[in-house]
Amino acid sequence: MIELIAHMLVLAGLVITAVLVFYFRDLLSAAIAFGAFSFLLALEFYILQAPDVAIAEAGIGAGLTTAIYIVAIRGTKRMEEVEE
Amino acid sequence: MTDAMLISVLVIAVLIVVTMIRLFLGPTAPDRVVALDAINTLTIAAMLLLGAVYREIIFIDVAIVYALLSFVGTLYIAKYLGGEM
Repeated sequence: MIELIAHMLVLAGLVITAVLVFYFRDLLSAAIAFGAFSFLLALEFYILQAPDVAIAEAGIGAGLTTAIYIVAIRGTKRMEEVEE
Repeated sequence: MTDAMLISVLVIAVLIVVTMIRLFLGPTAPDRVVALDAINTLTIAAMLLLGAVYREIIFIDVAIVYALLSFVGTLYIAKYLGGEM
């Protein structure tokens, strides 16, 4: 029962961060929200008792993806242009 | 004992959702970076508690790897904000 409530809270957090990734106009903020998303996804894998998947998700999501997004944002523009 | 740890995990999950309000509202990017770092640390705490609940040693190793990677991720964003990268 308690585990089920923890499950629901983590899943609610996943939905919130996934919406935030699309909501932010600042691309750096979107990258930060994606980092939070991947961390919560790793926690969800962990609650489902799959630690190897959680290690892979944390390594790729936190270590690699965030760094590569930052490099890409540095090479291009930080703000998304609003289409009129 | 297991119930107490599960309730602690529940409280930490509530705190993660509360921290997300700062991630959502934060007017500048540094606010959001601090919120992300707080979420990372709370996640590591939840993982350690869950490792005790499930009675598996390998789950603690995941938390160690996780702590290292969260530091690297925050460092990258901080370097970008500081203009060094």
